[in-house]
Amino acid sequence: MTGSNQPLELILARNLMSSLAIPSFLVDNAGMLVFYNAAAGELLGKRFEEIGRRSLAEWSADHAPFEQDGREIPTEDLPFTIAVRESRPVHRRFQLRADGGPPMEIESSAVPLAGASGCQGAIVVFWPVSGA
Amino acid sequence: MAPEANIQVTLWGVRGSIPVADPAVFRHGGNTPCVALRLSDGARVVLDAGSGIRALGDTLAGTREPLHILLSHLHLDHIQGLLFFKPLFDADREITIWGPPAGDGSLRDRLSRYLSAPLSPIEMRELPARVSYRTCPPGTWRLGPALVEAALVNHRGPTFGYRISEGRAAVCYLPDHEPALGQSLETSEAEWISGYALARRASVLIHDGQYTDSEYQAHLGWGHSAVSDALLFARRAEARRVILFHHDPAHSDDDLDGLCDEARDRWSALGGDANSVEIAAEQRELSVEP
Repeated sequence: MTGSNQPLELILARNLMSSLAIPSFLVDNAGMLVFYNAAAGELLGKRFEEIGRRSLAEWSADHAPFEQDGREIPTEDLPFTIAVRESRPVHRRFQLRADGGPPMEIESSAVPLAGASGCQGAIVVFWPVSGA
Repeated sequence: MAPEANIQVTLWGVRGSIPVADPAVFRHGGNTPCVALRLSDGARVVLDAGSGIRALGDTLAGTREPLHILLSHLHLDHIQGLLFFKPLFDADREITIWGPPAGDGSLRDRLSRYLSAPLSPIEMRELPARVSYRTCPPGTWRLGPALVEAALVNHRGPTFGYRISEGRAAVCYLPDHEPALGQSLETSEAEWISGYALARRASVLIHDGQYTDSEYQAHLGWGHSAVSDALLFARRAEARRVILFHHDPAHSDDDLDGLCDEARDRWSALGGDANSVEIAAEQRELSVEP
């Protein structure tokens, strides 16, 4: 081995997400946010190219996801963390802040990318709740 | 000092999709994919079992070296020669068939869908040779003196690319591969390019080059590459020699000659040595040195 590759499941998912207008991002099986698309960048206030890959804990620190009642959501309870850990789809509504802006309510669905070699990560789609 | 090991490569089938029996393709050949590697200990590694494997089998009569057949995937053009491979009918032969994993059954079960009635007069259990069927393990493993690495690559259905190395000589085999689908091979980070790690600095890269650039536009997502993408991929991976493979059944020898000229011009424009690109032809033999 003279280099390294992301698993094919993540490569294909990234290529798909790059073509979508739905905010979405990609998490690997080690819990790293390895990509998000232009639509997600618009929602979060920063393009992926500006920040690069980061851990979900760092992402949580940046965007401070919290419940309707104001309680902070631990990283391990976020949909994408659960999807990778338990290899099952997870949907949840919560709030977060985009690049220092006001709180916004979003819905998020995380789907594990389970290949023949096991779970390689998760694809996460999220969108603002209209009227929230 | 002992001489550095090398690998002997012979191309037995270079055509994609379906065998072609037409005088217009006789120079490059009409058999579907099969490439034989001979390692320094005499062991044979056979890459794919398209119709080209029949002629390979004829050369193996009376030999007893271990035989390993590495299937990239189970599309028909990569397995259709199995029933005509004489060593499978030799009770003294031990053969291991390796392939990619899939969620719909063991490798043996999946192959038996083809090697069984009504598609075949012979069932797999009737093959006289001692055949074992193994799903390739993830990562790198050893076959005699060689290291073999398999990784899933971008094609339709579970498909492996392989890298076989002995010493510093490395052959990368990506017969059915569309790394440019949905992304730019010029600007993408290397780790996000399908097959990149397998091909990185390979002594020889055998790569899908099924389509001309204009043909490719009508075949996006079919799992095969335009020649220009194959060369761009090879350049990104810094492959030393490139063999364009899996020729379209409609491409005649004359078409392939023209494609070869274009490919060499393009490779030169990418900064490579024009003579290090070639169009695969049956019976081509080369010694892969470090």
